[in-house]
Amino acid sequence: MDEEPERAKRWEGGYERTWEVLKEDESGSLKATVEDILFQAKRKRVFEGHGQVRLGMMRHLFVIIDSSRSMEDQDLKPNRLTSTLKLMEFFVEEYFDQNPISQIGIITTKNKRAEKLTDLAGNPKKHLAALKKVVDSTCVGEPSLYNSLNCVALPSGTEIKEILVIFSSLTTCDPANIYELIKTLNALKIRVSVIGLSAEVRVCTILTRETGGSYNVILDESHFKELLMLHVKPPPASSSSECSLIRMGFPQHVIASMSDQDAKPSFSMSHLDSTGEPGLTLGGYYCPQCRAKYTELPVECKVCGLTLVSAPHLARSFHHLFPLEAFQETPLEEYEGERFCEACQGELKDKSVFTCLACKKVFCVECDLFIHDTLHCCPGCMQTDRTS
Amino acid sequence: FRLNIDGLLVCFPYDYIYPEQYSYMLELKRTLDAKGHGVLEMPSGTGKTISLLSLIVAYQKAYPLEVTKLIYCSRTVPEIEKVVEELKKLMDYYTKQTEAKNDFLALALSSRKNLCIHPEVSSLRFGKEVDGKCHSLTASYIRAQHHCNPSQPVCQFYEEFDAVGRQVLIPPGIYNLNDLKDFGRRKGWCPYFLARSSILHANIVVYSYNYLLDPKIADLVSKELAKKSVVVFDEAHNIDNVCIDSMSVNITRRTLDRCQTNVETLQNTISRIKETDAAKLQEEYRRLVEGLTEANVARETDMYLSNPVLPDEILQEAVPGSIRTAEHFVGFMKRFLEYLKARLRIHHVVQESTPQFLKDIYEKVCIDRKPLRFCAERLRSLLRTLEIADIADFSAITLISHFATLVSTYNKGFTIIIEPFEDRTPTIANPVLHFSCMDPSIAIKPVFGRFQSVIITSGTLSPLDIYPRILDFRPVTVASFTMTLARTCLCPLIVGRGNDQVAMTSKFETREDFAVIRNYGNLLLEMSAIVPDGIVAFFTSYIYMENIVASWYEQGILENIQRNKLIFIETQDAAETSMALMLNKNKISCKRLFISFSFQPPVHHYGRAVIVFGVPYVYTQSRILKARLEYLRDQFQIRENDFLTFDAMRHAAQCVGRAIRGKTDYGLMIFADKRYARADKRGKLPRWIQEHLTDGSLNLTIDETVQLGKHFLRQMAQPFRQEDQLGLSLLTLEQLQSEDMLQKIAQIAQQL
Repeated sequence: MDEEPERAKRWEGGYERTWEVLKEDESGSLKATVEDILFQAKRKRVFEGHGQVRLGMMRHLFVIIDSSRSMEDQDLKPNRLTSTLKLMEFFVEEYFDQNPISQIGIITTKNKRAEKLTDLAGNPKKHLAALKKVVDSTCVGEPSLYNSLNCVALPSGTEIKEILVIFSSLTTCDPANIYELIKTLNALKIRVSVIGLSAEVRVCTILTRETGGSYNVILDESHFKELLMLHVKPPPASSSSECSLIRMGFPQHVIASMSDQDAKPSFSMSHLDSTGEPGLTLGGYYCPQCRAKYTELPVECKVCGLTLVSAPHLARSFHHLFPLEAFQETPLEEYEGERFCEACQGELKDKSVFTCLACKKVFCVECDLFIHDTLHCCPGCMQTDRTS
Repeated sequence: FRLNIDGLLVCFPYDYIYPEQYSYMLELKRTLDAKGHGVLEMPSGTGKTISLLSLIVAYQKAYPLEVTKLIYCSRTVPEIEKVVEELKKLMDYYTKQTEAKNDFLALALSSRKNLCIHPEVSSLRFGKEVDGKCHSLTASYIRAQHHCNPSQPVCQFYEEFDAVGRQVLIPPGIYNLNDLKDFGRRKGWCPYFLARSSILHANIVVYSYNYLLDPKIADLVSKELAKKSVVVFDEAHNIDNVCIDSMSVNITRRTLDRCQTNVETLQNTISRIKETDAAKLQEEYRRLVEGLTEANVARETDMYLSNPVLPDEILQEAVPGSIRTAEHFVGFMKRFLEYLKARLRIHHVVQESTPQFLKDIYEKVCIDRKPLRFCAERLRSLLRTLEIADIADFSAITLISHFATLVSTYNKGFTIIIEPFEDRTPTIANPVLHFSCMDPSIAIKPVFGRFQSVIITSGTLSPLDIYPRILDFRPVTVASFTMTLARTCLCPLIVGRGNDQVAMTSKFETREDFAVIRNYGNLLLEMSAIVPDGIVAFFTSYIYMENIVASWYEQGILENIQRNKLIFIETQDAAETSMALMLNKNKISCKRLFISFSFQPPVHHYGRAVIVFGVPYVYTQSRILKARLEYLRDQFQIRENDFLTFDAMRHAAQCVGRAIRGKTDYGLMIFADKRYARADKRGKLPRWIQEHLTDGSLNLTIDETVQLGKHFLRQMAQPFRQEDQLGLSLLTLEQLQSEDMLQKIAQIAQQL
C-alpha cells in the first residue's frame, strides 16, 4: 500500500465557505445571482484602449513557477500546482497564438533552488511537453526568488525583457540581498510581474514596483486564469528602448516526397542540442541565408542568427497594433430593433447587447467575445466593406 | 485647502481630507468654544494630529485673545518629532497661502539628554547622568565660584545664553529638537535652557506628559504657562496610569541605604559650612521663618500651576521650628529613615492607610504630621543653601522627602503596602514599601483646574465614559469617531475553539491546560502559513508567554512555525523599547514573528496580522491593584470587574490597533479567547473595531479563521488606488461641501 496519505478526499480538506459568493435576491432564489455571476465572468475582460502605444511585439518572456511546499495547498482544485500547470499550458498555447514571433522559457523553483525547465524557445510543443512532466513532481521546500531571478538575469546579452513569476509561497530563501538584485534588474530594464497565489507579500510589491511590472493576487481559479491571460497581450514598450529594424527571413517550405531521387533525409538544425527524438525528415524550411534546415517556425537560425518566420505569423501579430475597438454595451430593454445577433443569428437573450460603433450592427455577448478575442475584426464591417 | 468649520476658516495642508477629520474638527471647535474639556476617540491612522493642529492653530489665529497657547503632550520622543513635522507642513502651507511672514513660535521640549550640545556632557549615556553633570556646570553657586576662580569649569553655552539669550526672543518658526540644537550651536546658547525659557512665550509647545503631570518636573517647567492654553494629551489611553505613576513612590532597602549616605553627606557638609560660613545657615533660617509667603502670593495671583506636592496649607505657614535649623532637620530625617528601616524589617505583608501610618510614626518615633509635610520644601531649601552641585546623587533622599510630604498631606487616595518579599520568590527577602497612588485625579487635577481646555484623545479610549469618571472631570464633549472606509480593511475575528472544539481561553483555571496551549500553538502555526510578512502575537503576561513558548518548544510547534517565519521573542528589558514603551511596561510583552525574506534584518515590516492570545487582564493578585480597585469602588462607584474588563480591553484594543496604520493599509485582528465573544467584552472595544465585528466572526474555530483570513487577505491584495477612495473615505473640498456628504459626516461622530 502507498504509505503517503492521500489528501484528495473532499472531507479531509480544509473548511471552506463556498456559499459566500452567492446572495439571495428578493424572492429568495439564487438563480439571479448565479446568472449574474456567469454573465460577469463572460464580460470580465479588460478593454484597455491603449490607443497609440508602441508595443513590444517580439517578446522574450520567462515564466518562473513556484513549486515549493505551499503549492500543495488545495484551495485550487485539485491542488495549486496541478491547477497552475493546466493554466500554464493554456497560457503557452494562447501566448504563441497571439505572439507568434515571440519566445518563452520556463523555470521552476523549489527546495531553495531554481531549475530551468525549458530554455527560451519559440516552439510551444516543447514547453507543453515539459509542463506535462512537472505535474508528477513533488512540491518540497522553500522557493528561492533570488536564485530564479538570477538564473534569468545572469546570462545577460540575451534580450529578455519580461519575467512573470507565479508565486505561491509567502517566504523565499535567498542566498544574498534581493534588493540588490532588484536594482540590477531595474538597470537591465527587465519587467518583472508577479501573480501571487496566496496573499500580498512585501518583497513582491517592491520587486514589481521597482521594475515596473504588475502585481496581482488571485481570488479564485477563474480570476487566476484571467490574470494569466492579461500577460498574453504584449506590454507597451518602454519609450527608452530604441526602434530597431530586425532582419527576418521568410524560408520557403520545401516538400520533398520519398519518390524524389534527389531528396535525402536530413536532420533539422533545431535538433542539434535537444536530446529528444532526433528524426530524419525529408522536407522542411531552409534558411534563405545559410540554407540550414528547420522543421518548425518561428525559430532563430542556429547558424547565422537570422530570425525565421512565416508571413502568416507576422500577420497574426498585426492585430495588436490595431485592436478592434470595443463595442458599445447597451441594456437589452433599451435596445430597439430586431433582436437577432448579426453574427450567430441567434436571438438576443442576455442582459446587454453590443453594437459595433462603425457599422452599427448588433451582437450578443458570446459573439462579442469571439470577435474581440479570436477574429479581431468585425464581421459586420467586413460585409459592408465588400458590398461598397 | 481652506475649510469652513462652523464659522472658522481652517487651513488644511493636504489636498484631500477624510470625512472623520472634518467631523473631528467640528467637535474640537465646539469644545474650544465652550472653553471646556473634551474626550475624543478617533482610529489610528486617520490623521488625528494634523486635524488637531490645523484647527487649534486656526483658532489661535482667529481669536488670539481667547486661546494663547497650545500645549501638546505626547508620550515618546519620536512621537514628539512627528507632531513637529506635521506642524511644519501646516506652517509652510500657511506661509504659502498668506504670503505673510510666519509669526508663530512652536517648539519641542525634551530632557537635557536629547537637547544638550555640550561636547562632554552630551556624550553621557543616561539621562540622569546628563542632568547631574549639567547641574554641576550650571548651578548658580558654581557660576559664582567661577567668578572668583576661573579654573572652575562651567558650561560656556549656558553662560552665553544667560548673558545674551535670556533677553532676546527666539525668532518665530517651528523648532524640533534638532532645530533647537542647530540654533543653539549657531548662537552658542544652551538649547535646553533656551527652550525652557521660550516655552513661556511660544504659541505651541510640544513635550512629554511628564512635564505637565509629574509634580516635580511640572513645578520647574510648566508652572508659569498661561491659563488660556489648550492642552492636548495625545495617545492618552494610559493617562490614568501615568498620573498614578507620577505620584507613587516605591522604597526599597537600597533606597534607604543610599538615603543614609545622603544624610551623612549632608551632615558633614553642614558641620563644615558651620565652621566656615555660619552666616549662610543663619540667612536660610531667617528665610524659613518668613515662610513660603512668596509662593503663596504667586499662587493667589494665579500665576502658577498649582503643585500637588506643595499643598495649600503649608504655604500659609512658616516651616515649623523643629526642622528649621539644618542640624535639626538632618536629625529629623535620620529619625524618619530609621523608622522606615524598621518598618521594612517585617516578615508579613502590611497594608495601611495614610492616617494609620501617621499615627504609628507618631507613637513610635514621635514625628508629628506637620514637619513631615514640610519635608520636601525644607530639603530643597537645604540643598540650595549647602550648594551641593551634583543633585543626581541626592535622588534617594529627595524621594524620601517627597514621600514624607505626600504621606502627611493626603488622607485619601493613597495606600501604603509593605511587602517583605516578591510573590514569585517567597524565600528571598526583598522588602519594598509601596506608597501607591490610587486616584489618578490627584495628579491631573491642577491641569484641569488651570487650563481652559484639556483635550484627551487617542485611537482607543472606549468605553469613553470611564475616563471622565476616573480622572474626575466634566467634559463638554465626549465623542467617538468611526473610520469611513472604501473597503473594509480591518478584519477582526474572535477565535473561541480549536479544531477539536476545546474552548480556547486564558482563563486562570484552564490556562495551563495542555489542550489550550496546543490549540493556541496550532492557531499561530496555521496563521503563519497564510499571513504574509509579519505577525505580531501578544500574550497576557510575560510569564504566561514564557510558559507557552516553552511548551510549544517541547511539542515541536515552534519548529514548525519556524519553517514559515522567523521568530523574534521580545524580552522584558527595554532593548526593544519602542514597542514595549508604547504598550506600557505593564503586563503585555510581545512576540513578533517576521517572515524570512532575505537574511537581512527586516528594515520595516508591516504586521499583516495581530493575534492576541487571551484577555490581557492585569495581575489581579497584586495588592496594589486590589487596593486601587477597592478605592475605585468606594470613591467612584466603579465595580472591580468593570474596571478590570475596561483595562484588559483597552490593552487588547491597543494591541490590535497596531495592525493598521492608515486607510490604505490592511490587517487581520485575531482575538484568541472565547471570552471576547461576550457582549460585555465586545462592547468595550472601540467603535471602529466593533463595527466590523459581525456575528459571523464570533467564536470561530481555527479552520474557519484560516479560511476567513485567507479570503480577506486575497481580497485586500487586489489593486487599490487612491481614486477608489475619493468621494467615499477621502474628500476634496467640493465633495466635502455637498449636502448629503455633510449629512453622512454628521453620523460619524457618536456623542455620548
